[in-house]
Amino acid sequence: MNQQAKPVLIVMIEDDEGHARLIEKNIRRAGVSNEIIPFTNGTEALNYLMGPDGSGLVSAGRQILVLLDLNLPDMTGIDILEKIKSNQHTRRSPVVVLTTTDDSREIQRCYDLGANVYITKPVNYEGFANAIRQLGLFFAVMQVPETE
Amino acid sequence: MPISKNALVRSTVLFLLLGLAALLAIVGAMVWLVNETAVNSSNLIKARSERSALITLRGLGQDAETGQRGYLLTSNPAYLAPYNDARAKFPDQMETVQSAYADEPEQAALAARLRQTMTEKFAELEQTIELAKSGRYAEALAIVNADRGRALMDEARVFFARSIERADQTVLDSIARQQRGIEMLRWVTFLGALVIIAVVGGSIWTVWQYTRQLVEAQREVAVLNADLERRVSERTADLGRANEEIQRFAYIVTHDLRAPLVNIMGFTSELEASLGALQEYVGEVVAPPAADASADAADETGKAEAARVAAFEDLPEAIGFIRSSTRKMDGLINAILKLSREGRRTLKPETIDLQGLLENAANAVHHQIADAGGEVVIVGRPPALLSDRLTLEQIFGNLLDNAVKYRSKDRPLRVRIEAGIGPGNTVVVKVEDNGRGIAAQDHERIFELFRRSGSQDQAGEGIGLAHVRSMARNIGGDIGVQSELGTGSTFEITFARDLRKVIGAI
Repeated sequence: MNQQAKPVLIVMIEDDEGHARLIEKNIRRAGVSNEIIPFTNGTEALNYLMGPDGSGLVSAGRQILVLLDLNLPDMTGIDILEKIKSNQHTRRSPVVVLTTTDDSREIQRCYDLGANVYITKPVNYEGFANAIRQLGLFFAVMQVPETE
Repeated sequence: MPISKNALVRSTVLFLLLGLAALLAIVGAMVWLVNETAVNSSNLIKARSERSALITLRGLGQDAETGQRGYLLTSNPAYLAPYNDARAKFPDQMETVQSAYADEPEQAALAARLRQTMTEKFAELEQTIELAKSGRYAEALAIVNADRGRALMDEARVFFARSIERADQTVLDSIARQQRGIEMLRWVTFLGALVIIAVVGGSIWTVWQYTRQLVEAQREVAVLNADLERRVSERTADLGRANEEIQRFAYIVTHDLRAPLVNIMGFTSELEASLGALQEYVGEVVAPPAADASADAADETGKAEAARVAAFEDLPEAIGFIRSSTRKMDGLINAILKLSREGRRTLKPETIDLQGLLENAANAVHHQIADAGGEVVIVGRPPALLSDRLTLEQIFGNLLDNAVKYRSKDRPLRVRIEAGIGPGNTVVVKVEDNGRGIAAQDHERIFELFRRSGSQDQAGEGIGLAHVRSMARNIGGDIGVQSELGTGSTFEITFARDLRKVIGAI
């Protein structure tokens, strides 16, 4: 991952702490050492991404990659996705939707809203771990743009 | 007043009979009057001819008398002409009068007496004329003066007057009778017409009432029908919603169950990975205890031994159980997920060649069946239908797989598939096998999720038939079984012939 001026931050929005931990472990195993900032609910995550005033100015100049679960306790991940992609400061940040739903309408909706990658969490652990490790390898080579 | 069907028939028949009676009365009266008229007119004609004959006869008498008197006064033979004429005509005319009274004895007797009187009169006239011709006027006048001739003529006149009056009376009577008959016919016709009008009016009224009731009843039926249809479609929609809700529920539950399961499995794997490091370390440290070890060392060795047992026996065993249980749970959740996903799939109604579809399903298991000497026969005539192809393929594939899986070990498998039309625009397909059969108490249970029947010698999770039932219900049908343990099973699947109506109802 782009390691030049500022390190890329991985913002992980995942309500299940177990999943969050497993995702982090497997990303690390793929050799990604970027800082991962975990959030377990949508409100805190939006606070971080958009700032307390909701303008998104806080994210200007950051290099952020968002890992997003759709099932959150206080809002759906789709709301967050919509906000990220409609804010001029965050819309270029890649968003990876990582969720259990494989409903085709849901997938279409996420891509329509500007999601960059949609991954369904595999049911069994081996598949899950494997998918996350591959995602980690993908992270290692991808370029993340600096937001305006 | 409500009119029943029987009452309508009864009153119609009654009205018809009344009308017929009135008509018969009119016709009868008419026939009677025609007869009466015939009798009257013949009487009338007879009376008229009697009268004219009598008048002519009387005229003859008077003519003869007039001729005699003229001749006696003038002795001019020219005055004898009326006499001669009358005398010549008299016998015929007398005959005519007498024959007119042939069937009336009393009148005939009077006529015979008249003949005598008239004959005598003519004799007296002849006598006087003969005397006058021979110039004996005095003798002739003496005879006239004797008044014999006048007396005879008076007698005849009385008869004529009475008989003419009688004939006139007959004419008057006939006319009166005729008029009475006409009057009667008028009344009969009038009353008959009244009856017929009443009957027709009554019939029309009855029919009108009955028709009105029919229309009313029809309207009520239509209203009830509409209500019934509305209720049926409401129920169907409710059922559809409930079904949908259950499937959504299943979907949500499985997703929410799966998230913690991933954690359990994930951290079990982590645990296993850590166990590797632990085992490596413990295996190095723990050496077999030395014979001369001190108490401390022995204690140390005991701890190390316990750690070794934990690392190499207890922990792997616990992890093994966790893994097998989570795998099983994962399988079950996946099964439910598959069912709910199937339920959520959008059905696509299309024209299905059921015969071809059944043949394909049979071909898929052909190898397994033919190898053991068995066979699949498809009979019946499947109707044209509109349904979801994938669903039907899965249903019959599943049933045939089961037939193969649970076949009887001691005889070759025979499967008979029969397709036909069922009640209420449905298709019925029976799949009959001679397999190991299902015990009666399990006939309902086999369609429940995760339930299986008989000896558990085949792999499976108890999902197949539950899945088939759910699919059959999705396409507007159901599945049932008839089976005897050790003999075979017959699965009967019904489903809507036109899937669009099922989808439209939900």
